[in-house]
Amino acid sequence: MDDIDAMFSDMLQEMDLLTQSLGEEAESAPLPKPSTIPGPQEMNFSVGFTDFNASLHNLEDNDLDALMADLVADISATEEKFATEKDTSKGSAPVAPIPSQPQSNFSLPASNDTSRHATFSNSIAAPPPPPASKPSKDELEEQVKADKIKLALEKLKEAKVKKLVVKVEITDGSSKTLMVDERQTVRDVIDNLFEKTHCDCNVDWSVCETNPDLQTERGFEDHENIVEPLSTWTRDTENKVIFQEKKDKYEVFRNPQNFYMWKKEKQSLKDMKEKDKEQLLEENFCGASVIVPDLEGVLYLKEDGKKSWKQRYFLLRASGLYYSPKGKTKASRDLVCLVQFDNVNVYYCKEYRIKYKAPTDHCFILKHPQIQKESQYIKFLCCDDEWIMTLWVTGIRIAKYGKQLYDNHKAAVRKAAGSATWANRTIQASSSPSTPSPTPKAKAANGHAPQPAVETKGSSNQTSFPPPPPSMETLPPPPPDPMLPPPPPAPPSTTKVNKFPPPPQFPQSSFPPPPMDDLPPPPPPPPEDSELPPDFLPPPPPFFSSCGGEALPPPPPDPMASLPPPPPAPQNFASSGGAPPPPPPPPPPPAPAPAANKPAGSIRKVAPPPPKRTTPQLAAPSGGNLMSELMTAMQKKRTQ
Amino acid sequence: MAAWDLTVTVEDLGPDAPPIQISVTSDLHIGGVILKLVEQTNLKKDWSDHALWWEQKQQWLLRTGWTLDKCGVHADARLVFTSQHKALRLGLPNGVTLKMRACFSSPVFRTVIAICRVLNLRHPEELSLLRPVEEKKKKKDKDSSEELYDLTDVPLTAGSVQALYNGMPAHFADSPKTEAVYKMLSVSLPSPAPEAIARLYRPASVVDKTHINTRWLDSSRSLMQQGIQENDKLWLRFKYYTFHDMDPKYDAVRLTQLYEQARWAILLEDIDCTEEEMMLFGALQYHIGKLSLSQDMVSSCQGMDDLESALKSLEVKMVGDSNSTDMLENMTAPELNDYLKIFRPKRLTLKGYKQYWCKFQDTSISYYKSSEDRFGEPIQQLNLKGCEVAPDVSLAGQKFCIRLLIPAPEGMNEIYLRCENEKQYSQWMAACKLASKGLTLLDISYQNEVKNIQTFLSMQRSNCAAPVAQTDDSINTLGLVSPRYHKKYKPKQLTPRILEAYQNVAQLSLTSAILRFLQIWQALPDFGTSYFMVRFKGSRKDEVLGIANNRLIRIDLGIGDVVKTWRYNNMRQWNVNWDIRQMAIEFDGNINIAFSCVNADCKVVHEYIGGYIFMSTRSRQQSDTLDEQLFHKLTGGHDAL
Repeated sequence: MDDIDAMFSDMLQEMDLLTQSLGEEAESAPLPKPSTIPGPQEMNFSVGFTDFNASLHNLEDNDLDALMADLVADISATEEKFATEKDTSKGSAPVAPIPSQPQSNFSLPASNDTSRHATFSNSIAAPPPPPASKPSKDELEEQVKADKIKLALEKLKEAKVKKLVVKVEITDGSSKTLMVDERQTVRDVIDNLFEKTHCDCNVDWSVCETNPDLQTERGFEDHENIVEPLSTWTRDTENKVIFQEKKDKYEVFRNPQNFYMWKKEKQSLKDMKEKDKEQLLEENFCGASVIVPDLEGVLYLKEDGKKSWKQRYFLLRASGLYYSPKGKTKASRDLVCLVQFDNVNVYYCKEYRIKYKAPTDHCFILKHPQIQKESQYIKFLCCDDEWIMTLWVTGIRIAKYGKQLYDNHKAAVRKAAGSATWANRTIQASSSPSTPSPTPKAKAANGHAPQPAVETKGSSNQTSFPPPPPSMETLPPPPPDPMLPPPPPAPPSTTKVNKFPPPPQFPQSSFPPPPMDDLPPPPPPPPEDSELPPDFLPPPPPFFSSCGGEALPPPPPDPMASLPPPPPAPQNFASSGGAPPPPPPPPPPPAPAPAANKPAGSIRKVAPPPPKRTTPQLAAPSGGNLMSELMTAMQKKRTQ
Repeated sequence: MAAWDLTVTVEDLGPDAPPIQISVTSDLHIGGVILKLVEQTNLKKDWSDHALWWEQKQQWLLRTGWTLDKCGVHADARLVFTSQHKALRLGLPNGVTLKMRACFSSPVFRTVIAICRVLNLRHPEELSLLRPVEEKKKKKDKDSSEELYDLTDVPLTAGSVQALYNGMPAHFADSPKTEAVYKMLSVSLPSPAPEAIARLYRPASVVDKTHINTRWLDSSRSLMQQGIQENDKLWLRFKYYTFHDMDPKYDAVRLTQLYEQARWAILLEDIDCTEEEMMLFGALQYHIGKLSLSQDMVSSCQGMDDLESALKSLEVKMVGDSNSTDMLENMTAPELNDYLKIFRPKRLTLKGYKQYWCKFQDTSISYYKSSEDRFGEPIQQLNLKGCEVAPDVSLAGQKFCIRLLIPAPEGMNEIYLRCENEKQYSQWMAACKLASKGLTLLDISYQNEVKNIQTFLSMQRSNCAAPVAQTDDSINTLGLVSPRYHKKYKPKQLTPRILEAYQNVAQLSLTSAILRFLQIWQALPDFGTSYFMVRFKGSRKDEVLGIANNRLIRIDLGIGDVVKTWRYNNMRQWNVNWDIRQMAIEFDGNINIAFSCVNADCKVVHEYIGGYIFMSTRSRQQSDTLDEQLFHKLTGGHDAL
C-alpha cells in the first residue's frame, strides 16, 4: 500500500511539474500547444503548419481566442486536479494564461470537452466531506487518498489523449480553428462546427480532407475518428480540412432506388413512394448483412504506376472491387480482385484529365490513407460521367462501412431535426427580444429538471427558452444553445453575466435567481468537496472557467450565494486573471437592459443584448456559466 | 340400413396377414369403424396413434366423427389401419442422416414444425423437406455405417417450451446416445475429405440448380399423400432464405445447421463466389472446425461450461490487471530481440537478404547492424501500425518470411523479414500482426496469436509430409474449398492463401466466426435465390425464374443474364390456373406476367412465392406463434390474394 502511495505521489509530482512548466509556457508564448499537456509521449502538434509562428499569424484573433478558451479549459482542468490532490493553495500559482486579445469572445469549452470534464469532476465530487467543519482527519485522509488514486488514473487517461489543432475552412471563405482530440468522432466535430457557424445544420454538412498533391477530396464519415486520418498527413502537408455540404454524403438514404435499382431508368424511379424507399433501405441495410448495390460496368483503370488507362468491366461485391479479365465471363469464379476495402479509402479526384490524361474528369482513387503522394499502390479509376462516379464511390462506401453508414445517417437526421427545432425557437425568441425571459416558462423548465446534480440539464433550463421540445431528449443538451443567431437577445447565459454584471440589487431582491433552483437544494452545509477546500477558494480563474459549471461543487451554504455578482464584478474578474478577459470595449450593461427586464417581470438577470458580435459562437454550455457565476458570488463574499 | 363388408388391412398384424373384413353400415362413423377393427384384431396395444388410410384415394380418414357415407367410402374401398407417426430417415443440412419419427398424416408444414421441435430448431417455417438427390455412384457397403444417429425413441412433445438440462433440451439428456445426437446437431462437423466433396453432386449451371428445387414437398399435404413410405429418406433444409430473429443464445442447432448448409452450398459450388471469398470461407471453416473440436473436449460436462467460461474470463481479467500493474511498476514493455534477415526489394537491384539485429518494441521494429550497436541509433525504425502483414512460408524449403507492406506518404514500403525457424517466425509474425492493428506485445492476445500460427504451420507440415495419404483426422486445406480449387491449386499453394485470409478471422470466437461466415454468405450477390425452369406466356424458349426473398428475377438462359426483376412489394395479386398449371402475377402499373413451370410442380413455385410473402409478415413481437392458416392461405393457391 505504501508503495503504491509513494508511486502515486511521485507520479503526481511529476505531472505537476509538467503542468507548471506548461503554465509558464502559456504565459510566455501566446499559444501554448495543448498537446504538450499530455506529456512527453504524445507530442503531436498541429497539423498543416510548417512553422508554428506562421500558423499563428494566419489565425485570426477570434480563432486565437476560441483556441485559447479551449486551452485554458484544458489547463485548468489539469490544474483543478492538482489542486485537489495537493490540497494546498498551490493551484493559484502556476497557471494564469490571460490571452491579452482585445476582442475576446471567450467561449467556454466546447460541448465535448464539457461532457468529458463533467464526467471527470463528477467522479471526484462524489464523496464530499463538508469542508466548513472539517470532519475527523482520518476519514478525510482516507477520502483524499481514494480521490487521489482516482485522479491519478483519470490523469493517466487524460495524458494519453492525443490532441490536434485544426484549422477548418468553411465554404464561405472563413475558417475556424478547433482543437480536436482522438476521442472525438467526426460527428462531434461537425456538431462543434454547427455551434460555431451559422449554417443550416442539415445532414449534408461534412468535414472533408483535400490533398492538393493528388487533387483529391474525401468526406470523412461521421463515425470516423477525426484525429486518425489527420495524423497520417505529412509535416509539410498542404492538405486542408474543409467544412462543406456534400450532397452525395447521404444521397443513398434519400433516394436508395437510384443506387439499388440503378439499372432502371432514373426517370421511372423519380417518384418512388417514401414507403417503398424505406422498405428498400430496410431490406438492404437492416438484414444480417448489408447488401451492396450490384454495380457493374465499364470503368477506366490506371494501375501499378502505369501511364495508360485501360477499360475494364468492373463489378462491385461486398468483398471488394473486381473486374472480369478479357475473354472471360463475368461469373464470380473468373473475377479478378482489384482491391479489397479493408485498408483503403475512396477519394474523389479533380481535374485528372490534365494531371493524368484521364479519359474524363470523373475519377476516383482507392488508396491507403497514409499514402499522400502519387504511388503505384494507388488504384486510379475513371468513369464516364459524374453520376456513375457517385454510384461507384457510394457503393464502395457501403461495402466498406456497411451498416455504420446507415446508423450515421440516422444520427445525423436526428441531429438535424433537433437543430432545426432549436433554430426555430431561437428565431422566435429573438423576435421579441424585449421580453426575453418569461418567468413561468423558466419555472416550468426548472420543474422539469429536479435533479440539480445534472449540470447539463440545468444548463438547458437556464436559457430563457421554453422547455425543450420533446425531440430534445435525443440531443445532448448543450449544442442547441449555440445555435443562437449572432446577436441573440441572449438568454441570460452567464457568460454574458460575467461580462456585464447586472446591477446587483435587482436580481437579488426581485426573485429567487433561477439558477439556484437548479442547484442542489439550497445546501445548508454545502457538501463541499475535498477538492474545494476553502483556503483554495480564491481559485485560479482558469480553474473555475474550465471546470466551470460542470462539476462545480455546490455553492457555499451562504444564502448570499444566490447573489448575483456584485457590481464591481468586472474588475474582480480581471484581477482574478484567467477568467474571461474583461470584456473589451463594451462598458457595463447598457442601461436599457435592466429596464427591459423589469417590466417583463422576469426574474432572470437578463443580460443586455451583447454588443454586436460577429462571431456566432456563443457556445457556452450554460452549466458552466451558472457555475462561474456562483464562483464570482463566492469570491465576492470572500473578499468582503 | 343395409350392412356391407369393409376390407381393412391392419399393418400391425404383419405384412402377410390377410385383411380384416368388418361389417358396417354407411352411417357408421370412422371412430366406430376403428373400434370394431380393434376389437376384431384381439391385439392389446396402444392404438391411439393409428388411423385409417384410404389407399386408392391417397388420403387419410382422420375425422372420426364423419360417417363412411360422408367420407365416400363404399364396399370397394381398401383401407389400411396404420400408425400416423412413422420412422423417417432425415438428411440434415450437415450431411448426417438421423432416424426419427415424424407424422405422416398431418400437412408437411406441421410435420416440419414437430421435427424441428425435437431437434430444437427455432423458426421451423424457414425449413422444409425435399426428396434427396440420388448419389452419383452406387454405394456398396456404406449404408449400414450411415445410420449412426437414432432418435426414434424420443417422443414428440407437444409443449413448445424446452426445459434445458445440462445445457441441452431435456429430451436429449436421457442417454449418452441422445446426447451424442445433440452434439452432432449443435456442433459443426470437421471439414469433409476432398474426395467426399468430389463424389457429391454439383450443379454445373443454372439449369442444374433448378433441379434441386423441383424436389420440395408440398407443405399443405401429408407425407403419405406424397408417396413417402416409412423409413424413406428425406432431406431437411432451410428453404426460405430469411432468417428471422437469429439469437446465438437459443439457436445453437439452428446456427450450426445453417452454417453447415451454407458451407456445403459453397463447397459444392451451389452458390458462386470469387477466389478471395473462397479463401476467406476456407479460413473461417478452418477456424470454426478447430474451435468446435476443442469445444468437444469440454462439452462432456456441459453444465460446467458456464462456470468455466466465467472463471476463464476472470482469469483473463486478473492477468490483464496484473499486466497493467506490472507496467506501472517497472514501466518496461516487453520486446523481441533477435538477428533477422531483412530484404527490401527495390527496382533494378538484386540485393539479397542481409542480417541485422532487430528489436521489436511497441508497434515498431528497429534494426541495427549488430547486437553491439543496439544502444545507438537504429539504421531504421519501421512503425507497423496500419501496415499489411502477409506470410511467405514454405516448410519444405524451410523458408519463414514475413512480408510487410508499410504505408508511407509516398506509397507502400515493401520489406521482407526472414526468420530462422518456426518458433522465431511465429513470435515475430504474431508481433507484426498485432502491431498492424496498433496493439503491442503487452496485449493478451499475443500468446494466443503465437499459438495460432504454430498450429497453422503444423497443419501445413502434415500436408507436406504426406501429400498423398491423408489421414482422416488431420485437417486438409483441400476440404475447405470447392473442387474447382482442388484442380487449380496444389495444397502447397492453397495453404498460404488460406493462412493469409485466416489472419483476419483468427481472433473470432466460435459463434462470431459462424456468424461471420453466414454474413459473408448472405452478402454474395446470388445468395438466397432459388431457381426454377419456366416458360413465360408468349415465349417460345425456356427461361429461368429466380425467386428471392424480395423479388422475382427473370434470367435469360442464352446469356445467363438477369433480364428483369420484379419486386414483391409491387405485387398486386397472383393466382394459379390449376388446369393449365400456369401462374399469373399482376404488378403495380398494369404489369402482368404469366408462366408455366417446366420441370417443377406449379405448386412448388407458388408456395415459394407465397412462402416468402408469409415470411415477410413475421414481426419480432409475435415470434412465438406461427399463423399456420395464413401460411396455407398464402401458399395453398386456392384463393387469390
